[in-house]
Amino acid sequence: MANISIRNVSKSYGALNVLRPFSLEIENGEFVVLVGPSGCGKSTMLKILAGLEPATEGQIFIGDREVTDLAPGDRDIAMVFQNYALYPHLTVRQNIGFGLKMRGTDKTEIDRRVDDAARILEVTPYLDRKPKDLSGGQRQRVALGRAIVRQPQAFLMDEPLSNLDAKLRVNMRAEIGALHKRIGVTTVYVTHDQVEAMTMADRVVIMQGGIIQQIAAPDELFNNPANLFVAGFIGSPGMNFLNSELRDGKLTAFGRQISLPRATNGQGPVVVGLRPEHLVLGDAPVTFGVKPTLVESLGSEKYVYFDAEGARIADGDEGKSKGLIARVSHTGSLPRDEEIRLGFDPDQLYLFDQKTGERL
Amino acid sequence: MRRTLAQSLALYATVIFTLVMILFPVYWLLVTALSTTDELYRLPPTFWPDNPQWDVFARVWAAKPILLWLWNSMLAAVGSVALSMLVSVSAGYALSRYSMRGGATMGLFVLTAKMLPATLLVIPLFSIFSSFGLIGSLWTLVLAHSTMIIPFATWMLKGYFDTIPKELEQAAMVDGCSPIGAMVRVVLPIATPGLAATALYAFVLSWADYAYARTFLVNSPDNWTANLGITTMQGEYVTYWNDIAAASVFIALPIIAIYLFLERYLVGGLTAGAEK
Repeated sequence: MANISIRNVSKSYGALNVLRPFSLEIENGEFVVLVGPSGCGKSTMLKILAGLEPATEGQIFIGDREVTDLAPGDRDIAMVFQNYALYPHLTVRQNIGFGLKMRGTDKTEIDRRVDDAARILEVTPYLDRKPKDLSGGQRQRVALGRAIVRQPQAFLMDEPLSNLDAKLRVNMRAEIGALHKRIGVTTVYVTHDQVEAMTMADRVVIMQGGIIQQIAAPDELFNNPANLFVAGFIGSPGMNFLNSELRDGKLTAFGRQISLPRATNGQGPVVVGLRPEHLVLGDAPVTFGVKPTLVESLGSEKYVYFDAEGARIADGDEGKSKGLIARVSHTGSLPRDEEIRLGFDPDQLYLFDQKTGERL
Repeated sequence: MRRTLAQSLALYATVIFTLVMILFPVYWLLVTALSTTDELYRLPPTFWPDNPQWDVFARVWAAKPILLWLWNSMLAAVGSVALSMLVSVSAGYALSRYSMRGGATMGLFVLTAKMLPATLLVIPLFSIFSSFGLIGSLWTLVLAHSTMIIPFATWMLKGYFDTIPKELEQAAMVDGCSPIGAMVRVVLPIATPGLAATALYAFVLSWADYAYARTFLVNSPDNWTANLGITTMQGEYVTYWNDIAAASVFIALPIIAIYLFLERYLVGGLTAGAEK
């Protein structure tokens, strides 16, 4: 186990910068998740960390050792791939033991460690099978087994759950979390799924367009997003955004003048953010009436979609095409096209600069 | 889904027609070998000889150095397969995995060599071999056949390597393999069906060659391949077609044996289970 230090690593293919200078200090035993939409550079960063792609610039240290120019096999890391990448011509036992064999480990020692890993991951009954005879979940476990058997300095995981069906994904998510607690190896985990990021990470690195947007613990990301992108990315359904104008600590939203309780710098055009779960049915410090365009019932709660002046469609967030959303606790029926009253506490508004997207 | 009677009839008719198309020449070769010379020229032809001459095989085997010819053909074919596989595997793997400036163009250029007819290359090859003093040697066939095989084999193998996920090699490298080690320990074992199909293609192409053997080896009877040897059985005034057919049966047998041996590797689906 070791800490990982990524110092100003960048990657470009000719004129195309896929990764801007990226720096990150990962503590020994920490579980860090890189998350972002497709093409944000998260997988590239992981491949550079693994040594499967060279960095254009920058340095990487694992423990006290600089590994920037070392071959993947010399970095003492293990990787779990999105498609598992099990060796189809080898049995499960040979798959798990392959890395140890390549390092010249003694045969009886390989057997002992493969048996240990198989027991931890509950794949002992399948040790003599080929990967094609396993289910998706079993293959995922074998891929994890191949990683843990080597007792490496760090685990790198590239969207390891995205090929599993929804139920299995939730189970494996918990299992990977438990496995990490049990063996405590420093882990860098890449995903595009914010739920995985929020539930598994000690710290989350949110990326977009090859640039780090924010590095923080999950709750901190949710409560204090650094900019519009992070605010829209974290949370489900995503945050509501409205264009508005800030003047002397006051702004207009939902047809109401709102005095902001906190002193806020800045004047002029702003984006107002409000999480769907911060909207409540009925009276609140600020209350307004809307006609829902759509009501989705999840049983104990409802997603109420409505339109409002200044409503802003967040970039690339498909959920927003239906307008604004309120996520309210309500078990009765809410008829469409009948006006209802929604309210919120202005303390829970987020303000962003309209030009830069930075939080104000 | 159950087939209707008409569908079944059409299916079997197609299968039978195809089998007849493929197997009739083989059958006719056998009939020719077993017929007497008189019967061969009879009209209408007989579809099975009245008096099969089974001793034709022993007679031809004793009269001609069939074993030597087969041995020479085998040497040339094995040499061609070995050389062309060595080159094609490396080239196909490189084309599949590494992007380099002009790589795709180079790959296509390799293929244009295949588009030239063999007869066009006979004269330049002859002059090259003759300046190296190779004329009359089986090495001429190994080299000449490889020039025919490599372009197409390279593309066959590139296509096969393209179907193998890159992550397998990346996993092998993380597990401690060098790039070559990942290829040898992971990619090649998985590519066995592709390698077997390519080797079979190479073997058949070399085994079936006549033009090169005739040009480079005609004055060295000790190095005659089977195809070349058989044509010398054609007489100036009289040709015993039954003898030639009997010798042809002998040279067809190794190909059938090779096919039966490689057939078990030709089954696809070895990568099943690598990914989700």
